[in-house]
Order: sequence, then C-alpha cells, then structure tokens
Amino acid sequence: MAGQTDPHISLFSPEEVEFMGEDELVEIVPNMNMEPLNFIAGDFGRFVPQIPTQVPLWLAVALKRRGKCTFRPPQWLSVDNLTQILEAEREPQSKFQPLPFSYVEIARLLFDHARDDIPDMYMVRSLVEDIRDVRLHKLENNLGSFQGTSAVKMDNVSAMEVNLVRPFARRALEAFYKHDKPEADTADRDTRSSRQPREANNEPRRPLRQR
Amino acid sequence: MFLFTARFSLTASETETFSDGLSVERKRVKPILMASNSDMGSADFESLSSTSDVELLKRAWRNEKAAPEILPYEGDLVERAKGQIELVEGNIEDYVENGMDPLVVSLYQMDLDRTQFLLRSYLRVRLLKIEKFMFHTLKSEEAESRLSEQEKVFATKCVADLAKHFEESVLIKLRESYRSVLKQSLISEEDDMVPEPHLDTFVVSRSNSHVTLNLYEEGESHQIVEMYRGDVYFIRYKVAKGAIESGKVDLI
Amino acid sequence: MAKYYDIDDILIEEEFAPVIFHKPVNGVTIDPSAETSCVEQGAKVELPFWLAHELHLRQAVSINLPACFDQKTRLEIQADAACVDLRSRCPYFYEFGCKLQPLVTDRTIGILLSTAFKIRYKERLTKVFTATHLTASKFLPFLTKEETNLYEAAHLSMTTFRKWRTGGPRFQRASILGRKRKES
Repeated sequence: MAGQTDPHISLFSPEEVEFMGEDELVEIVPNMNMEPLNFIAGDFGRFVPQIPTQVPLWLAVALKRRGKCTFRPPQWLSVDNLTQILEAEREPQSKFQPLPFSYVEIARLLFDHARDDIPDMYMVRSLVEDIRDVRLHKLENNLGSFQGTSAVKMDNVSAMEVNLVRPFARRALEAFYKHDKPEADTADRDTRSSRQPREANNEPRRPLRQR
Repeated sequence: MFLFTARFSLTASETETFSDGLSVERKRVKPILMASNSDMGSADFESLSSTSDVELLKRAWRNEKAAPEILPYEGDLVERAKGQIELVEGNIEDYVENGMDPLVVSLYQMDLDRTQFLLRSYLRVRLLKIEKFMFHTLKSEEAESRLSEQEKVFATKCVADLAKHFEESVLIKLRESYRSVLKQSLISEEDDMVPEPHLDTFVVSRSNSHVTLNLYEEGESHQIVEMYRGDVYFIRYKVAKGAIESGKVDLI
Repeated sequence: MAKYYDIDDILIEEEFAPVIFHKPVNGVTIDPSAETSCVEQGAKVELPFWLAHELHLRQAVSINLPACFDQKTRLEIQADAACVDLRSRCPYFYEFGCKLQPLVTDRTIGILLSTAFKIRYKERLTKVFTATHLTASKFLPFLTKEETNLYEAAHLSMTTFRKWRTGGPRFQRASILGRKRKES
C-alpha cells in the first residue's frame, strides 16, 4: 500500500476540473452584433442583440466581462429549485439528487462573473454552498461504507465532488482490495507455500530484495 | 528528470505557404467532416460537434492523465489538432493585419489557447509517464507500441542517458555480477529493478454505453458489474482497461 | 518488480521479526555481544524481515509473529480498534503484516489486519473532509504510515479545493505562450 501511486500522475487540479466545466453550454443574450465564430471547438453565433444563443461557458464569461452580453441563468440555479434539492439532500438515507455534472464549477463561474444576472444571487449562492456541504457529508458516509471490491458506483456525484475524494478514495480502495481480495489471498498462499521449499533447493537463485 | 529539456515542438512554420488570398477558406477549421458537407442540418451538426476533435482531444487528455500506464498514442488526432492549430494561428495573424475587431481576435485566441493547452498537457503527461517507466516501456513490446515515433526516440535516449549515468557513477565500482541496470545481480531470474505502472490502482470512470465488466481476473471469483450510459464508478484500472481502450468507458 | 525503488517498501523490510533457527549456522555474527560466531539450532533471534525471509526460503528458520501482532494488541484492537496507537507498535502495521502473512503459521493475521483497518478507516479517516484539523490532530499520532497517507490525501485535496473556491489564481496564459513559435 505504501507509496503506491505517483502523486503527479493521475490527478486533476480543481482548475483543470473547472477548465473542463467551461465547455458546458449556457445561454446568453448578446447586446451587440457579431458574425458567427468558427472555433476549433465548434461554431457559435451569429450574435444579434436580444436574441438568446447557446455558447460555452468560457466564451460567455469572456463576452460578459467585456459587457457584451447578459447571462440567462440555467433553470436549476433558482431559489425554488435549489431549496427543493437542499431539502431532498437532507432527507435521512437519501440518495444524491441529480444536478449538472459540473454544477460546482458552473455556479462558481456565474457567481464570479454574472452576479447581476442571477435573481436572488446571495440566496442562490448560499443554497448552493449548503447543498455542497450536505453532499460532502453524504460522500463521507459513502466512503465509510467502502469494502474490498473492484467497483464502487457513485450515483449523481458531480465532477468536482468526485475529484475531491479521488486521491483518498483511490488509496482506500487499494488498501481494501489488498486486504479483502477474494480467494486470491488463499490461492496465493497455497501456491507460495508449496513453491517455496522447492525454490529453497535451487538456491542460490534469488533476488537481493525479495518481492 | 530529463523532461524539460525535451520538447515536442508543435511548430510547423508554414504560415508562409498560405497566400493571403486564402484567408476566407482558412476560416473553416474542421477539415475532415465539415468541409465537404457545409449545409448539413442542425441534428447532424449536434452529433458531429459532440465528437469534434476538441472533444476527442479532451477525452484523450483525461484518459491519459487518469490512467496509471501510458495509453496508445492518438497519432491521427494529434496530427489533426496540430493542423487546426496552425490554421487558426494563420487566421489570427490575418485578422490582426486586416484590422478585425480586437474583441473577436481575442476570442479566437482564447479558443486557440484552450486547444493548445489540451494538446500540450496531453503530450506532457505522456512524457512524464515515459520517464517514470522508461525501462519498462522499452522492454515490453506491447508498451513500446503505444508510443509515437518521437516518443520512442525520447524514451530510448532517456534510457541510454540514465543507464550511462548509473554506470559511470555507481555500477562501474561494483563487482561484475552487480553491474546490470535492470537486474539486482546476475542470478536474478527477471528484471527485478524495473519500476512498473501500478495497474491495481483505482480510477474514476464514466461509461458511454452499456458495458458489462468482469471484476476479477481469471481464476478469481466471478463477479460482474453492469454499467449504463453516464454511470460514474470508482473502478480498478485493470478491470476497465479494455473498455477504456475501446472507448466504451471514459476516465474522468 | 514494481517497488524496487520504493522507500517505504525498503523500510518495511527493515522491521524485525523473531525467528527460530532450524539448523546451526557457523561463521555469522548476528548478535555482536555473543562470544562465539555461530548460531545454534533452536536459537531464537530477532532479524530484519529481509534476512528472515531469505533464511526462511532456505528452510533455515521459521518466522514467528513480532510483538506488534501479539495477544495484547489483538485484545486492544478487539476492544476499540480506533483508539489503539498502532504507529508506536509498527508504523507499517498493515504492510508488514501482509508480508508476514504467507510466512507464518498463524492464519488469523489476515483477518486481524483487515478488521483493524476497516474499523479505523471508518471511524478515524472518512470524516477528514468535514472535520476540523484540530479534531483530527488528536488521533494523528496513533495512525500508521498508510493511514497518515490517507489522511493527508484527503486533507490536501480539501485544501486545494478551498483555495480554488475562494478564488485562487485561475488558468492564465503564460506570457511565453501564444507568441508565434516559428520565430524561436
């Protein structure tokens, strides 16, 4: 178990998770005319004042920062909907409520750059934070029910949430797998104990550090 | 350790091969699918854009970052991405020269930067893995076949440099039977000093379609897991390896 | 061998295990204070695991469980696994145990390791994401190396997440990028 995984490989920083979330489409209302943009990532626009259009979040933020559009906040990001979700998340024994896979990243980018476009912004923000906290506690409970296995389903867990528990969960599952590996333990032991005496007679054929 | 001296240049200095008159043509950067079929319906467009090269590159980058071992090199995809990057670089130059709205230019630049980030990060993660498991990579034909030609050159050079360093600084001073870079001593049956990727680690996967995976290897207990489209799992890499390479499952 | 250069793996094999010699061995000094340089048949000696393992392969010794897996520890683990100070007994409690498991006659060690880990994991480690560092610091000194690694993995990702949430620096284009590369 010790020193099992290289910390520099197989990890995503929150910024990288955010980068992926920035490709999610959102609706904006431009206030200027602009020809369609033919990006490597796809074609967007044309942009006509007052005509809503779908663009990736990063493009929306870039336009918003230059005062060229307003956001149409996504439906799920409303006080009503979030209140319902929070209540449902708080039900004892409840499952994770469905939310967009990038809800943490989308919410943060909108709160940072489009606060004037979100009705009841402060209420919405605190609801999102409460939801995230409740879900984090639930995630911990899920982690607590881990056992030796090769697959654990994470229903409706979002990108940022799964990334948050990834380094821990990975190590824990490796440890559980090592301790609980079905049958392999006994099989391994039998082959080893029957093999070893024979090897003993063939000495010296051995590595300096035995595996 | 040798990483930052090696550079996979994406440069293709052929901006000058395009004459100015072509700038309108160059705006289209979807050479494969879109060029021949520019008036397709929006439904077709949806399905195509959902697997645009940027999406594919993002998928390749995520898989490569998340997997403990090096994955097969996405050569065609990298070439296409490089081509698109060059085109857009050329376009942006023209835009500036033609006095296009700086806002629009900066948006094209952002799109370019995002694609370049994916490509660079993808290649860098691979270099990191090649360095970390260089001896393993070169002695396993299967692993070596996953590298690009440039990467093979890099790996070979890394191995040669490191072996030379070990030999000159330490091994030359040891008795002959302990001078191998790969084996602890002459009597070692196998290459027992070669670090290998840890395939029993766990990764996070999301399935693209209905997949049934066997959770254990031959001879261990039989247990399967059924994954449906969109399901997210912590899963042992070895179990999901085949499904990742066939594209049924993505690492996230 | 995947772990040849793994410092933890090397240290695990430095842990001592008690052995009983099955044959007399001449010309070795295991105990520097001994008068003769030979070990008698039936001698009980503590050896580092790597040596004990080699001798075991040659059927020269049999290995017994070291003190960190003794009855007293087992009783304590049975009573309240989460509160046992495993680090002072052996910082590599689980990994060392796993290495010993196939070599000793005692068949209960596997279950001991997995029960201890399960309970301690659930009670001590899974709350790391929401617990304050202060609550955690009370039990930190009792954790084995791997348990500490787990704790730190969680703590680190929580810290980087908080940093991101409260507005850490975003991806920005390095000034070196975005320039035309054909000039270089």
